[in-house]
Amino acid sequence: MISNLAVAILNGVIWGMIMALIALGLNMIFGLLHIINMAHGVLYMLGAVVAWYFIDLTGNFWVALILAPVVVGAIGMAIERGLLRTIEDQPIITIICTFGIMLAVQHLVFMTFGGTPRRINIPIEGRFQLFELQYPLMRVVIAAISIGVMIALWFFLNKTKYGLWMRAVVQDREMAVALGIPVNQVYMWTFALGSALAAFSGVLAAPIVYVDFMMGREILIMAFIIVIVGGMGNLEGSVLAAIIISLIQGVGSLFVPPAMATVFSLAFMIIVLLFRPQGLFGE
Amino acid sequence: MSSPQPKSAGFILGFSMVIAVLIAVPFFVDLFYQTFLTEVLVWVLFAVSFDLIFGYTGLLSFGQALFFGLGAYSIAIPVSKFGLGPGPAFLLAIIIPMLFAWFVGYFSVKLSGIHFVIITLIFALIGSTIGETWPSLTGGADGLTVPFSPLQIGPLKIDLTDIKTNYYLVLIVVALCFLLLRRMVQSPLGKVFIAIRENEDRARLIGYNVQRYKLLAFVIAGGLSGIAGGLYGITLKYASANFLHWGVSGHAVVYTIVGGMGTLFGPVLGTGIIMSLEHYLVNYLQGTDLVIGIVLVFMVLVAPKGLVGLLQRKGK
Repeated sequence: MISNLAVAILNGVIWGMIMALIALGLNMIFGLLHIINMAHGVLYMLGAVVAWYFIDLTGNFWVALILAPVVVGAIGMAIERGLLRTIEDQPIITIICTFGIMLAVQHLVFMTFGGTPRRINIPIEGRFQLFELQYPLMRVVIAAISIGVMIALWFFLNKTKYGLWMRAVVQDREMAVALGIPVNQVYMWTFALGSALAAFSGVLAAPIVYVDFMMGREILIMAFIIVIVGGMGNLEGSVLAAIIISLIQGVGSLFVPPAMATVFSLAFMIIVLLFRPQGLFGE
Repeated sequence: MSSPQPKSAGFILGFSMVIAVLIAVPFFVDLFYQTFLTEVLVWVLFAVSFDLIFGYTGLLSFGQALFFGLGAYSIAIPVSKFGLGPGPAFLLAIIIPMLFAWFVGYFSVKLSGIHFVIITLIFALIGSTIGETWPSLTGGADGLTVPFSPLQIGPLKIDLTDIKTNYYLVLIVVALCFLLLRRMVQSPLGKVFIAIRENEDRARLIGYNVQRYKLLAFVIAGGLSGIAGGLYGITLKYASANFLHWGVSGHAVVYTIVGGMGTLFGPVLGTGIIMSLEHYLVNYLQGTDLVIGIVLVFMVLVAPKGLVGLLQRKGK
């Protein structure tokens, strides 16, 4: 029992790290552009699918881990420049537009990549002893990489010029324009970065779950839950919420059926939306 | 406003012509297309019910699938499990979705903008999750097959398993609902809905209880979505937890945006065109979402007022 619990806790924390990355991307796009990106789940899926192709081509997971987010980031940039730009001031319309993108991309991947789930070979085979059970080392590495990305993101947002611009636009868009910040470019790079983060978490999730054209559907909802519970626009809140929610789901699934856990977290989300729309950790 | 008379005469003429054509069609097409047309009519009702809440009241609800699925189940479960007749079951398909819409709406209309979108989506998700994990009641994703006994109205005996009879039943119900909706959006009540869509704060300042009107629109739209779901259950003799999934609401979004929101006629046109398109595409592309998604994005960007908007612009 104790080893089952330990595995559940470790799984929860590691999955929380992966979820934190995708939620951070969603939340950055929301915080800055005020867009609810319904296509965020397919960007995560695209990350895993593009990575699968890169691994197929080069046989190297680490190459795919670097290149897939770059490719998906570029796709995200194209989506923002080509499609969303003219409707960015109408939040409801952007929801419908990104919903359309979601439908199209998902089906396109189904037609090219196929409907059968595929596996990615785990690059690090090692295992270590956790009480009576063996635990794959790869998962710990995945968590470490996620933490590394989050630290890098923190430095990017807090210590670089672009990061400063982004925070300025979030705080007061008109003032940022008046001060000569290229707001349009900030939008473009934020959407690209958010897409790349989704793809990054897709690649990291790929060795744990199957690569499948539908894998973004459930994840999109989980990312919504995390962003709302953590507070829309509150990035630290998203990280915290991702870990707590994944932990509760991981440990909870030992005791209750997973569907019931989902219903409870959805109901909890409604309560948060109604009574603490700024999120659990907001001011 | 100044001359409603000729417009309304034009409508009566156009509406009667469309109905006359629809009455005549089953005599010229085979059973396959009769079924297809029945399904189109069902989705037309679903789309116009969505148009009331989104097009007229300005609330993007992804929760309509919940009421659609509930409508189908309100017929499927009592008929297949408790042997209820189709007549009383159909009444349930109106009442139960309305009750749920009142419950969901009570909480949802407290929020606006994107928060409203998200909360309705979550309610639908809760519904579909429960539906999928309670197969003893709902049949889960495999669904329930419903054996229908003939519907008895007075001396009249209606055989629901006959495809043509089923078609006419659906046609009558959908036409009546459409007329009811049209009457409603032209009434003072409809003007309040539009006022809320145009400027919620102003409507509140004038003295309207905005939340109550939003809830009213939500409950009516939910009831009409429920009727659509009930008709769908009768047509397919089947109900599944997939009907409850929020993606089903996406159909209404597509039909309404493509046709033209806030027009009632637009969603009718959109449903007909998109469903015909899907009908021809499905054999070539193993599905239709690619084209539907592209059409949706294209319309949102290029013609946000839909096909009706394009036609009107050309007319001027």
